[in-house]
Amino acid sequence: MKNEVVLEVKNLKTHFISKKGIAKAVDGIDFVLRRGETLGIVGESGCGKSMTSLSILRLIPSPPGKIVDGEILLNGKDLVKMSNEELRKIRGNQISMIFQEPMTSLNPVIPVGEQIAEALRLHQGLSKRQAWDKSVEMIGLVGIPSPEKRAKQEPFQLSGGMRQRIMIAMALACTPEVLIADEPTTALDVTIQAQILEIMKDLQKKIGMGIIFITHDLGVVAEMCDQVGVMYAGQIVEHQNSATLFRNPLHPYTQGLIGSLPKLYENQEELQIIEGTVPSPYDYPDGCRFAERCPFAQKMCIEKQPELIQYDEDMKVRCWKYTAQWQEESSSREMVTQ
Amino acid sequence: MFLFILKRLAQIVPVILGVTLVVFLIMQMVPGDSAVILAGEGASIETVEELRENLGLNKPLYEQYFSYIANVFQGDFGNSLKNNQPVLDEIMIRLPITMELAFFSILITIVLGLIAGIISAIRPYSLSDIGVMVVALLGISLPSFWLGLLLMYVFSIKLQWLPVAGWDSAAHIILPAITLGAGGAAIVARMTRSSMLEVVGQDYVRTARAKGLKEHVIIYKHALRNALIPVITVVGLQFGSLLGGTVLVESVFAINGIGRMIVDAIRTRDIPMVQGGVLIASLVFVFVNLLVDIMYRVFNKRIDLN
Repeated sequence: MKNEVVLEVKNLKTHFISKKGIAKAVDGIDFVLRRGETLGIVGESGCGKSMTSLSILRLIPSPPGKIVDGEILLNGKDLVKMSNEELRKIRGNQISMIFQEPMTSLNPVIPVGEQIAEALRLHQGLSKRQAWDKSVEMIGLVGIPSPEKRAKQEPFQLSGGMRQRIMIAMALACTPEVLIADEPTTALDVTIQAQILEIMKDLQKKIGMGIIFITHDLGVVAEMCDQVGVMYAGQIVEHQNSATLFRNPLHPYTQGLIGSLPKLYENQEELQIIEGTVPSPYDYPDGCRFAERCPFAQKMCIEKQPELIQYDEDMKVRCWKYTAQWQEESSSREMVTQ
Repeated sequence: MFLFILKRLAQIVPVILGVTLVVFLIMQMVPGDSAVILAGEGASIETVEELRENLGLNKPLYEQYFSYIANVFQGDFGNSLKNNQPVLDEIMIRLPITMELAFFSILITIVLGLIAGIISAIRPYSLSDIGVMVVALLGISLPSFWLGLLLMYVFSIKLQWLPVAGWDSAAHIILPAITLGAGGAAIVARMTRSSMLEVVGQDYVRTARAKGLKEHVIIYKHALRNALIPVITVVGLQFGSLLGGTVLVESVFAINGIGRMIVDAIRTRDIPMVQGGVLIASLVFVFVNLLVDIMYRVFNKRIDLN
C-alpha cells in the first residue's frame, strides 16, 4: 500500500499570459507522490513552488494564468483534462490544501466549525448534525482545547496557530489521499510551527495520505520530508531523498542553499550568500537558468539548457556538471592548461 | 448591545435641539413675514399686528425658541399657523404615507442594487457588466424629478399602465418608489460590484474553492456576506438622501406625505409645521442609522458596538 503512486505530475507548465509577455511560472515540472510519503518542494520566493501547488487543484487565477502543457494524474486520472464539475468533487475530498496565510484563509464571518462542516456535507453527504459533530471531532483532533466552544467561534476569536489548526482540520476532514501544504508554518512562530508539523505527521500516520510540502525553510524539509524537489526559476533542478540531500547536494544551487544556512558550531562572521538574482520569468536565458549565478558555469552552461538527469537511484539533477560531455570538456581543458 | 441602544437613544436629545435650532434660525432668515403672509394680501397693518401678537411672533427670538422646545419635549409641536390644527396630528396623517413610500423605495434600492452589482461582479468587464454599469451611471446622474416625469409620461400617459399621481392603491406606489429608489439602487450596485470584486480575490474565497464548494455557494455564502458589510453603510446613508428625495417625489406625484407638507409649509412660512416635519424626518433618520449599526454588527461580529 505504502509505495503505491497516488499523484503523478508530468511536464507541468503553467504560464501567465499578459501584455507584458508570457511569464513561465511553472515550466516543466515532474514528480511522483506515493501514499504515506511526504514530498518537499523547496526554493526561494518566486521560483514557482506555490504556483505548482495551485496548479494541481487548478486554482491559479485564470486569466491570466493557464496550464499550457502537462498532466496531473491522480490515481491515473488526469486532472488537467477534467471538467470543472468533476474536479470540484476532487477538491477538498481527495486532494486538500492548506494555505500559507492562516490569518486570511478562513472566512471572517462564518463560524469555523461550519467552515469545516460544509465540506463534509458536500463530499460525504453527512447530515447537518453529523457534519457538525465530525467537525467538532476534527477540531479536537488537531489539538484545540474545548472544541465544542471553538467550533462556534469566528476566525477573529482564534489565534494564528489555532487558525492554522482549523485549516488542517478542514483539509483533513474528508480524509484526502493527497494533502498540499503551501508553507503552512511560515506565518507562525517557531514553537507553534513545531506543534503544527507534529500534528501533520501524526495525522499522516493515521490517514496515510501523501503530502506535498511546499516551503522555503530547509530545516522544515529535514524535519518533514522523505523526498525533496528543489525548484529554481520554474523548474526542478534537483530531486533527492531528504536524508541524502543535506549530506550530498548535487546542484550548485542546492549547495548554495545549504551553504547559506547559519551553522551552530562555527563562528561565522558573515553568512554565505548566493550572488546575483533569479532571472525574470518573462525572459529566461537559453542556457541553464542558474548559470549566471553559478561558480562552476562554463560555456556550455550558457549555451544550452541541461536536462533533469538520473544521477543515481532516487537522485536527479539538472546540471551539466554530471554529464559525460562535461567530463570530456573538462579533461580537454586540463590538457590545454598542462 | 442593550447599553449601546440606550446610549444611542439618549443621543436623540441633542439631535432634537440641534435640528430645531437650525431650522428655527433658517426660517427667521428666509425673507417673508409669517404674519403678513397669513393675513393675506391687502390686510391692514392693524390686522397683521394683531395676528403677530396672537401667534407670539412679536416676542424675542430666544423666548419663542425656548417656549417651542419646552413644548416639544412635552409632545406638543404647536399648531399650524395656517389652519390652527396641531402639527403632530397633521404629521401623523402623512407620516405613514411617506414611510410606505420610503420603505418601497429602499426595497428597490437594495434589491435592484444588489442584483445588478452581483451580475456585474460575477463577470467583470463582460458585456453584462458594462451594460449594468452604464445603466447605473445613468441612475446616479438622472435627477429624480426628471426621472419621475419621464416615467409618468411613458407608463401613465403613453402606455396607461399605471396611475399618474395620487396615493390610493398599490399601483400608485410603483412609479414614485422607482423614482425615489433608482439613484440609490445605482449607488448600491456600484458599491456591491467593487466590494464583491475585492472579496472574490481574497484568500478565503480561494479556500472555499479548494474545498470543492459549488460556485453559487462560493458567491452567495462566502463572498457576498463579506461584500455586504460596506454595502450596508451605503444603504444607511442612502436612506438619508431618500428622505430628502421624498420632498421632490411627493411633489411630482402629488402624494400627500411629509415631504410635500414641508414644502407647502415653507411656502406659507408656517414655521411650526416646517419644524415639526423636519424634526420627525430627523428622528426617523436617527432610528434608521441605529438600525444600520445593529445590522453591521449582525453581519460582522468583529465590530464591537461599545
